Amino acid sequence: MRERTKAERTEPGRAPTTRMVLSIVLAAVVVLLLVLLATHEGAIGAVQRAYAAVTHGVLRVLGHDTTILGNVVRSSDFGITVVTACTGIFATALFLVAVLVFPTTWRAKLFGGVLGIGGIAVVNVIRLVTLYYVGVHWPAALDTVHQLVWQSLLILSAVALWLLWAGRIAGRKGAER
Amino acid sequence: MKREMRREGPRTLTAHVGRFVLVFVLSLAVLATLWTFIAPTYTRLVAMLARPLFRLVESPNVTVLSAQGAETWVYRIIGEREIAPFTWFDRYTFFALIPLLALLAATPGLGWRRRVLRGVTGIGALMVVHVLYVVSSVELSYAAMGLRTVGPLAARTLDLWQIVVRVLWEAAPILIWVALTFGAWKKLFERLRSGDPAGGDARRASWTGALGTLGWKKKEGTP
Repeated sequence: MRERTKAERTEPGRAPTTRMVLSIVLAAVVVLLLVLLATHEGAIGAVQRAYAAVTHGVLRVLGHDTTILGNVVRSSDFGITVVTACTGIFATALFLVAVLVFPTTWRAKLFGGVLGIGGIAVVNVIRLVTLYYVGVHWPAALDTVHQLVWQSLLILSAVALWLLWAGRIAGRKGAER
Repeated sequence: MKREMRREGPRTLTAHVGRFVLVFVLSLAVLATLWTFIAPTYTRLVAMLARPLFRLVESPNVTVLSAQGAETWVYRIIGEREIAPFTWFDRYTFFALIPLLALLAATPGLGWRRRVLRGVTGIGALMVVHVLYVVSSVELSYAAMGLRTVGPLAARTLDLWQIVVRVLWEAAPILIWVALTFGAWKKLFERLRSGDPAGGDARRASWTGALGTLGWKKKEGTP
């Protein structure tokens, strides 16, 4: 009888039912937690303030004389208010669900989750900073860039991150476990 | 040689993702320009489909919808032959149609016929979501303002329902796209797998397991 290779022993499809059920339950829990986070004023307020603080920091580094008050970053030229929809929480939720339901190892899923949360947060800060610039230099286009361009780019970045993770990392991690 | 072969898989994937991003951005630029012309028609269609739904969920029917250009205005009947503006949905409310079509355009491995068919299906599915979004948003707003009677549990969880509706509205283009292009991605991943001879049995086994768990069957004769 042929001995199973390491890859075969660690193949995610070997115990699909338990893994899939656990993954789906975990995905549902994550969505529920994020929905609760979005409805909890204190918690979502903290996330908004954190994004405002990072955006303020980046803008200061870039030479802008901005001030911060709660979730509002402003200068004499322009101001932005970070609200729930600006936190990228919905894109993050989608990404986490996609990572959790993808059949691979828990380690790869953990890596995917961290990659998604971090990656989308970075993209979101870039979004807030560019919106500040558009607000200062091109205010007439602010609505379009905010609602049309960045809505699409946030979707694109989440999908591209997932594809890179699913194709490259999950497969390799699955083999390494 | 071995190193080159090992690198081939990831590089191919990166190339695919790069192409995907490029086509998405280009399609988005073209379609977003067209959106100015498409939006009024799409908005009229959504309003047309939402009206009978309002009549179905309201007794008596108090909501009057009016598509004005790319905006949808919601009026509330407040007396005989008297209406008052209640809220409106701006011209970006239904914009998700454009990223959905750009995602479909960028998906590799779809022929033009399939792409168009999926595009039409996607537009139909997204329109249904948008109709439901308009109706549920307005009804939830009525409930939040005490203009509609709801049970005690629903009253306590109104915030939650509003977030759920919002999440579904935001997630709709991606969910529809995933549902429509599942097969295309499966084929791409299979191709990447078979085109990675030195990627090792490990990665191959992992993908086989992953695809198998998702209900994908390996074609006979494939490695």
